[in-house]
Amino acid sequence: MGDTAPVLSAGHASPPVRHLPRSGGPWLALQIVLSGSLLLLFLLPIYALFAWAGPARIVSAAENPAVGAAIWLTLYASGIAVVAALVFAIPLGYLLARHRFRGRSVVEAVVALPVVVPHLLVGLGLFFLVIPGSPLFRFTNAIGFPVYDTIWGVVLVMVFVSAPYTVLAADLSFRAIDPRALEAARSLGAGPASAFLTVSFPLALRGIVAGLLLTWARAVSEIGGILILAYTVYPGGPYTGPVTSTLSVLVYNLFQSGDLGDAAAVSSLFLLIAFAIFLAVRFGERWGWVPWRRGEFLP
Amino acid sequence: MTAWSVEGLAARLDHFSLGPVDLALEPGRAVAVLGTSGAGKTTLLRTLAGFVPPSAGRVLRDGADITGLAPEARCLGYVPQGLGLLPHRTVERNVSYPRELRGDVEATRHVRPLLERFGLAPLARRRPAQLSGGEAERVALARALAADPELVLWDEPWQGLDVEAQHDLGFVFAELRDAARVPVVVVTHDPGLAFSIADRFLVLRQGRVRFWGEPRELLQRPFDAFTARFVGYGNVFDPAALAEGAPGSLAAWLRARAGSDGIAFARPTVSPEGPNRGTWEGIVRTVRPTPEGFTLTAGVDALPVVLRVPAPVPFPIPAVGSRVRFDLGENDIRPLGPAGATGGSGTGR
Repeated sequence: MGDTAPVLSAGHASPPVRHLPRSGGPWLALQIVLSGSLLLLFLLPIYALFAWAGPARIVSAAENPAVGAAIWLTLYASGIAVVAALVFAIPLGYLLARHRFRGRSVVEAVVALPVVVPHLLVGLGLFFLVIPGSPLFRFTNAIGFPVYDTIWGVVLVMVFVSAPYTVLAADLSFRAIDPRALEAARSLGAGPASAFLTVSFPLALRGIVAGLLLTWARAVSEIGGILILAYTVYPGGPYTGPVTSTLSVLVYNLFQSGDLGDAAAVSSLFLLIAFAIFLAVRFGERWGWVPWRRGEFLP
Repeated sequence: MTAWSVEGLAARLDHFSLGPVDLALEPGRAVAVLGTSGAGKTTLLRTLAGFVPPSAGRVLRDGADITGLAPEARCLGYVPQGLGLLPHRTVERNVSYPRELRGDVEATRHVRPLLERFGLAPLARRRPAQLSGGEAERVALARALAADPELVLWDEPWQGLDVEAQHDLGFVFAELRDAARVPVVVVTHDPGLAFSIADRFLVLRQGRVRFWGEPRELLQRPFDAFTARFVGYGNVFDPAALAEGAPGSLAAWLRARAGSDGIAFARPTVSPEGPNRGTWEGIVRTVRPTPEGFTLTAGVDALPVVLRVPAPVPFPIPAVGSRVRFDLGENDIRPLGPAGATGGSGTGR
């Protein structure tokens, strides 16, 4: 068997990337002006925040235990929301990607609902759902998940508004997998669960992680529903710190009471933390600290 | 050493129905499944593999009915179209995958000999995306063998491979059949592969079995345009092509002998004594060199007939526009039609 000579084939190699001739002149200038404007719109408010706060105020905000408690609560609650998305949103995404069933487009519309509904309405809806005296109010209290002014209320709102991003990412990632790879795996001895764990999940993992990152970002930036359901958060459940509120609510309060400098400082501090987390995940992917890049993920 | 048999297997898909199909698969024998696109070849393979639920019939492994078994319980080496390699795993871990599934903790060490045998050891750390087509085929084959299959199903090997890679793979394939001593069922469009490895041909057409038998039977008695072209008949005419010929013309002579689906004959030799001998005369339209000499197309009245001039060419090559003569005897022609299909045994169902 002649295995030494390189064998050419069109069958499986990816097509070479073609570089178009660089367009120049007015067309390029227009592109630069338009994209630059958008980038400026993204960056300038952030610059304004940092400029208004100044380094000294940011440092003092970082040392303030009240701010620390709000950041801790926000990270804690959003972390639980991400885990909830991992547990509940991936199966839903898999279902949508792999099965054809009646009413599928209805399910897809329901998944998109939290993205399009104003979040104050989400808070109101959840409020009426678990209004004191309602069966659900008594039930959540009885099983130890009271939602009013607790971390569970924060988590509930966060999952509602952010889980769709993981559902959609999982759906797309599972759909992108070659069904023939799955059939080959089944035929080679993998049962349905085993094929999911060794083929579908590792292959979809990168997309799912991107979805989880979006979910987390959406969760920490939520304010509308939290204002109604958990304006002030008292210790209880997994949260044992002092009475506080989420970071978004804290900044809102500072702004309302006229502490503009402090509002800017707390915002800047949180931007730094969020940016660091995003960077860590991205570089982790690139440098292979995380398993989904190497593709050796196996249970 | 497992024998398989398929009895009356049928399946229904949205707009297609397959079967009934009867097959006997013996160890070390290969069956080539042939047919035009949409004939049901892939559906047959996927039904055997357990991915399409059969609507009737049975699949027996050494006499035991496995029709209802899940794909993973069938002991198959199924290589789907496009190979189905796992893109997140290296070559080595693609091949060791079936053993890992069985809990072999040293799976990569145990598949080392397989990698060596298929010339994949230097590629062990590569990923499927970094392989050429021929290399990927060998990985798929090695992986199928790592599962210790009792039947190998292969859909469209060497699709898109260049001739050298095909040559390599032909040897690999023959080795698989001989060494593994398992039946092989291969779906192919390639006559070269089919004739070189298969002991039996199964021809499907619109989901029905049209032929089941030995290759030489099909060679002697092709029964439709597809089978005639597949086994290498250079001239295949359907009844419409022969309808125009005046009395005494070649078209009329063929029409009198054609079956309901037309007629086929191999490329007649241009008369060796010289271009001026032979029963029929045509005007050369194209001349094309081949390893065996030259292939000409000649217009005999309106009928385009493919002729050959074997090497060494004994006379000057006829030029385009010149006249050539050739003979065509009663023994050279094959009428095409349902009657021509009688050569196959087991086509009755």
